[in-house]
Amino acid sequence: MNTRPVLETTDLKVAYGGNLALDLPRIAVRERELVGVVGANGAGKSTLVNSLLGWSRGSPKVSGKVLLDGRDISALPPHERVKAGLLLIPEGKLVFTQMSTEENLASTADDAPAGQGRRRYSTDEVYALFPRLYERRHHLGSQLSGGERQMLGIARALRLGPRALLLDEPSIGLAPRLVSTVLETVRSLVDSGLTVLLVEQNVHAAIEVVDRLILLERGRILAEGTASEMRDDPRIAEAYLGAHV
Amino acid sequence: MIMNTGLKTILFAAPAVLGFFVPMALGGSGAVYAACVLVAIFAVMSYGLDIIVSDLGEVSLAHTVFFAAGAYTTALLSASAGMGPILSLAGSILVALAVAALLGFVTLQLREFVFSLVTYAVAVVAATIAQNWSFLGGSDGLRGIPPFEISLLGFSARNDQELWPVAYLLLLVAIYMVSSFRRSKLGKAAMMVHLNQRLAVTSGVDPQQTRLQVFLLSAPITASAGWLYAYQRAYISADVLEAYFLILMLTAVVVMGRRLLLGPLAGVALILVQEKFFSFGGYVDKIILGSVLIVSLAFLPNGIIGLFASIRTLFPRRTMPIGKTIPERS
Amino acid sequence: MNLTQQLVNGIVLGHAYALIAIGWTVLLGVARLVNFGHGQMYMLGAFVTWYGISRLGLPYILAIPLAMLVGVAVGYVMQRVMLQLTLKQDLVSIMIVTLGFGYVLHGAAALFFGSTGQILSTPLSMEDVYWGDLWFTYQDIAIVIVAILFFAALKYIIDRTRLGRLARMVAEDPQLAELAGINVKRVYLGVFAFEGAAVALAAALVAPRTPILTSMGFDEVIITFVVVVLGGIGSVLGSYLAGLALGLFVAFFGAFVSPAYAMAAAFAVLIAVLVIRPGGLAVSPGGR
Repeated sequence: MNTRPVLETTDLKVAYGGNLALDLPRIAVRERELVGVVGANGAGKSTLVNSLLGWSRGSPKVSGKVLLDGRDISALPPHERVKAGLLLIPEGKLVFTQMSTEENLASTADDAPAGQGRRRYSTDEVYALFPRLYERRHHLGSQLSGGERQMLGIARALRLGPRALLLDEPSIGLAPRLVSTVLETVRSLVDSGLTVLLVEQNVHAAIEVVDRLILLERGRILAEGTASEMRDDPRIAEAYLGAHV
Repeated sequence: MIMNTGLKTILFAAPAVLGFFVPMALGGSGAVYAACVLVAIFAVMSYGLDIIVSDLGEVSLAHTVFFAAGAYTTALLSASAGMGPILSLAGSILVALAVAALLGFVTLQLREFVFSLVTYAVAVVAATIAQNWSFLGGSDGLRGIPPFEISLLGFSARNDQELWPVAYLLLLVAIYMVSSFRRSKLGKAAMMVHLNQRLAVTSGVDPQQTRLQVFLLSAPITASAGWLYAYQRAYISADVLEAYFLILMLTAVVVMGRRLLLGPLAGVALILVQEKFFSFGGYVDKIILGSVLIVSLAFLPNGIIGLFASIRTLFPRRTMPIGKTIPERS
Repeated sequence: MNLTQQLVNGIVLGHAYALIAIGWTVLLGVARLVNFGHGQMYMLGAFVTWYGISRLGLPYILAIPLAMLVGVAVGYVMQRVMLQLTLKQDLVSIMIVTLGFGYVLHGAAALFFGSTGQILSTPLSMEDVYWGDLWFTYQDIAIVIVAILFFAALKYIIDRTRLGRLARMVAEDPQLAELAGINVKRVYLGVFAFEGAAVALAAALVAPRTPILTSMGFDEVIITFVVVVLGGIGSVLGSYLAGLALGLFVAFFGAFVSPAYAMAAAFAVLIAVLVIRPGGLAVSPGGR
């Protein structure tokens, strides 16, 4: 298992107008691993996943390296990183609201094979995974519920053949019961071969499914360890309380 | 503090006074005076648009209509009704206000490109009307505009050299108006509406009312340029509605960098010097003017001034207080 | 005045307007972009067709693709220059830049083609058709047929193909489209190149109806504007219907009231619509 990580960053720094928002020496996600990133609001969680894609709705200054299977992709524009297999499901708007579920799932990728370690799910496969989406296949994105949109977001990413999947706050705005459904689905995807970096404010829910956990605070790593190690970490308890106050 | 203000007054009134002698310093020939008068007129025309584009952040393409409204009103009032320049200026401003109010009312709800399209369409329709309506002289235009004469003051201007004081005064007034607008509550409200409409609303600014007010302030400035242009040319035809004036205004507003008080004046001067003294023929001049407009927006986000960052810090400092000093003098 | 004849004129004119406007419709619907140089691109298309036929001796059927090729090149260069503004969605600057491009095209065309008016005559425009007491030309028939085919093909492409889907994704949310692996820049360049080709095609077909001048671009934008806004900004089907309605309006207004003011009147109608329901004409990104 001590192979090269699928996704790795070195000296990643992100600054907004001179203010350092993120400063991480190294983060690594290994094959078939589900790594959670937790922390309070403004800890830099979204900044982290967005900068891995070089993607942002603002215009931050990013430095450092992002490696996918050892290949430096930090010079590539976002759409090229997507083609290389790094997929982000952003927070907030994650489906095309003026398109039907079916159209959202229609492929935007070219027909080239997905490449090493990547599996491009077919439409039937994602419908099998999310039967609810099949029922709603003719509905517009704008007519879907929050949970359905989250499923559709994940399904869209699977259709593109992810090598590594980045999930930004999938639990936001969902009912507690749905949160665990979504996270368990993510877990089962990892078990069947996917590599995932999950950003989550809901520490309690995240710790149930992840392999390892990284605790961020003000853009820096405060603690890192396996799920069982971290469960008893007082800093997690603190963050857990902090997140729910 | 008083010393400081006094010093500033001298420092910045000096250029205003010196500016008057620019045509003399350039040799004082007829061509120089003609160019200087046109620079002043077109700069005033551009200042009207400047506050819409730079402060309000919208693109009005109907400012040629305000320019034409001033010119045609002046032609009708002076040539047909025999009125003097003061009355024709008042008439020009009133007509421009009426047109601006109408246009402002129609476009109140519209933003961005729909706003621009409507204003553009207004300009095209205005050109059609000017070319076809015999009341406005049709395609021949209106001739026989008398020379600029204010008998009350015993002032008369029969050539560009004699018209220069009027043109220069008009320019100073326009610059003063733009400068005091930028420092006024309305100017600040316009910037807020421009930069963040939601924030503006929550701060108690009514965006629609602000837009309408800025529009109503802007139209008479451009119209007063049309007023003087009518006297300078002695006839007016539908060509005042041509795209040339629109492109000239827009280029003047953006070329030096937006929201620079003397930017439009410098821009117009640059363009007219090229056209009058270094012309390559009408069509090539068109290509040059259009290209300057494209390049300054696509590649120089801060205009020519932005290229010289060191000068840039100097420019606004120099320009801002000019507006402050003028009211004390006039 | 023959009513049926005016109806025929209106239908032909309507298809002509729809065809002229289609590039803009796609530009707005897909890229949320505007092009105030559209009229001058129409002018250029007409003159390149004329140049191809009368100076290069090309057959009409080859002069059309030549004009379209030039249109593609102009559209591509425009978007290439504006790309940073487009990605920033700086609509104010884009409007002014496209206006500047139109002005440059006007100057360049006058320099190259001369400023005198020309007649663009094609083999089709010289063949009259008399049908009862109705009169039209084969050119008119070609306009109607090409417009219908073009709109049908475009509607199909936008609604049903991968290309159309990519374009709609970019229209709705360019940043989310990037996350779907779409090269957004390339879509923007492609849309502008399409706009260039479409307006050149329209010019090659429609311009033979009237004398052509290098200064005619100014007015053409207004037709386009009325069609695009009345049709519901960015809607392909709406543009077709609005073009047709405008054509009929102009034909009847020109015949019964005044041809000189027909455009002004059409514009007045539009203003009335905008005043009554400005909200109903708000842009819906990716709208069809």
